[in-house]
Amino acid sequence: MISPACVLDVQDLHVSFSTEEGTVPVLKGLSYSLAKGKVLAVVGESGSGKTVHALSLLRLLPPTAHIDSGKILFDGKDLVSLSPSSLRKLRGARISMIFQDPMSSLNPVLTIGEQLTETILAHRKISKLRAKALAVRLLKKVGIADAAKRYDQYPFQFSGGMCQRVMIAMALALEPDVLIADEPTTALDVTIQAQILRLIKELQAQAGMSAVFITHNLALVADVADEVLVLYGGLCMEQAPVHTIFEKPLHPYTQGLLHSLVSIRQKADFLPAIPGNPPVPGQECPGCPFAPRCPRALKKCFKERPPLFEQDGHKVACWLLEEKA
Amino acid sequence: MNPVEIKNICKTYTRKRFLSFGKKEETPVLKDVTLALKEDRVLGLVGESGCGKTTLSKIVLGLEKPTSGQVIVDGKDLGNLSKAGFKKIRRFMQVVFQDPYSSLDPRMTIRQIISEPLDIHGLYKEKSTRKKVLEELIKSVGLSVEHLNRYPHEFSGGQRQRIAIARALALDPKILIADEPVSALDVSVQAQILNLLKEIKQKRRLAMLFVTHDFAVARFLCDEIAVMYKGRILEYAPGEELFSNPQHPYTEALFSAVPVPDPVHQKKRQAVSVAARADMEGHLCPFASRCRYVCAECGQTPPMLKEVRPGHFCACTALPFKKKKSSFAI
Repeated sequence: MISPACVLDVQDLHVSFSTEEGTVPVLKGLSYSLAKGKVLAVVGESGSGKTVHALSLLRLLPPTAHIDSGKILFDGKDLVSLSPSSLRKLRGARISMIFQDPMSSLNPVLTIGEQLTETILAHRKISKLRAKALAVRLLKKVGIADAAKRYDQYPFQFSGGMCQRVMIAMALALEPDVLIADEPTTALDVTIQAQILRLIKELQAQAGMSAVFITHNLALVADVADEVLVLYGGLCMEQAPVHTIFEKPLHPYTQGLLHSLVSIRQKADFLPAIPGNPPVPGQECPGCPFAPRCPRALKKCFKERPPLFEQDGHKVACWLLEEKA
Repeated sequence: MNPVEIKNICKTYTRKRFLSFGKKEETPVLKDVTLALKEDRVLGLVGESGCGKTTLSKIVLGLEKPTSGQVIVDGKDLGNLSKAGFKKIRRFMQVVFQDPYSSLDPRMTIRQIISEPLDIHGLYKEKSTRKKVLEELIKSVGLSVEHLNRYPHEFSGGQRQRIAIARALALDPKILIADEPVSALDVSVQAQILNLLKEIKQKRRLAMLFVTHDFAVARFLCDEIAVMYKGRILEYAPGEELFSNPQHPYTEALFSAVPVPDPVHQKKRQAVSVAARADMEGHLCPFASRCRYVCAECGQTPPMLKEVRPGHFCACTALPFKKKKSSFAI
């Protein structure tokens, strides 16, 4: 069921990688829907499958990875089975993406302007002159001073924060319906991070754009998200509105994650860390991927994978909630 | 006598450019840095990328030579030491690096990795003692004895960082330099390593230099904190004092920019704008071009560290004017 307000609907997405040791599943049935004008934060540790999920949304996965099953519905079309040429029309125009490392996502031998107009001209039939005017306007919008001069410069003349602004300008050039931001501020300093986040929020509110924001930083989630999805071992552990996640987390993993955060607001003597290490893809137990580290794990948790129990829009994949649901 | 005294360190990198006719390009990275590491205390060095914090930690370790200034370790000036003398000092000064993937040799077993410093310094040569020492070390960082025979690739990031810590502790150092040891780790693992570092520091009464860009981590672990910007220390204070009374406009801007994991509180906060203005370039204060309290004096007087509250030093010329600042909370 897709409600009219939903722009992107991911249904039971399975992605795996072919390696020398055989097929390694990375995403094991991820489902969510993204509401119009909202920001969904996907939170996870390394190896949880959060970047693979982002790449699979636009079918940008490396050749060794493949989508085994599932649907990604956007505007009535299934992106998983869409032809490459129709997909190309969507990429950048209707769904666009910001990557983690701005320095390596820009082409070093082309000017910023050439790269921006390339995107615009690929999708719109307008003259080069008008494309340039649009590009300069975009650079101004993302807060680059002296945009007309900067237009003719190369990426190496820009700082990391400036490059990320250019990436954002490029992603927003064609006013997409959905923005996918994969750790857009991880490589940046905090002061720059604050600027970039404010920019994304402003532009998102102005244009009524929806966004999937992928991060490992829970503090950023508190800042930008409307809805939060906690990913662990390729599975959704918990999904809820942002206030619910921080006030009443129900999954032991989410609880542990929030407890283990170092706070800048007060000094702690000891951090209640989650023992153990995140699972390595391909080596998990058949049950809940968090069971080996879970302080409240039941016998059942090791054998059977918990389904998503849902109550008032709060989804939790944990056997502890079985009786309550 | 403090274990490490850093006195007026300056460091300038020079490079000759091709076809520049002998002209050299000079990049100053550290400007007149004076700090001390004290026994059983952790000094946090906090700053954004490129501010010179890693360069300073390398100079303290003797991996880089300062352009001017002295590093005095255990009463001896690192600059005047012979090779043998330096080796003796190095035994008491160890390091944990940021990236646990590149700081462990992939072809050595964990036993070899942790034994290497002992071999270099010729310690615990007797087989049974060596075995006992290694086993104690690996247990003290929360791993088990069977891990000794494995290779680094069999471990996750957090476990590798534990191994790097065990290697650093093998020589029973008095001084530990940790350069962003948790920033490459996942949140849930980061907490484990921070707890471990705190426990080790307390047990061994180490003097520690902890380099980080994360104020939350610094608050948890550090007793004193130095805030660095463009090669200068702008503020230095005991940890809790800094967080309750940040004085420098830069520190204030940094605090306001760090998001807090509380959606209700975070959505009310506003980061102080620190967009650079070109007209302020050339001011003597390095932060002037981004500072919202900038005044004429910032261009004339170089900022010197002054004691503004007991034990709390701040390098800001405009400081008295800053009092009209709006109240803000972390």
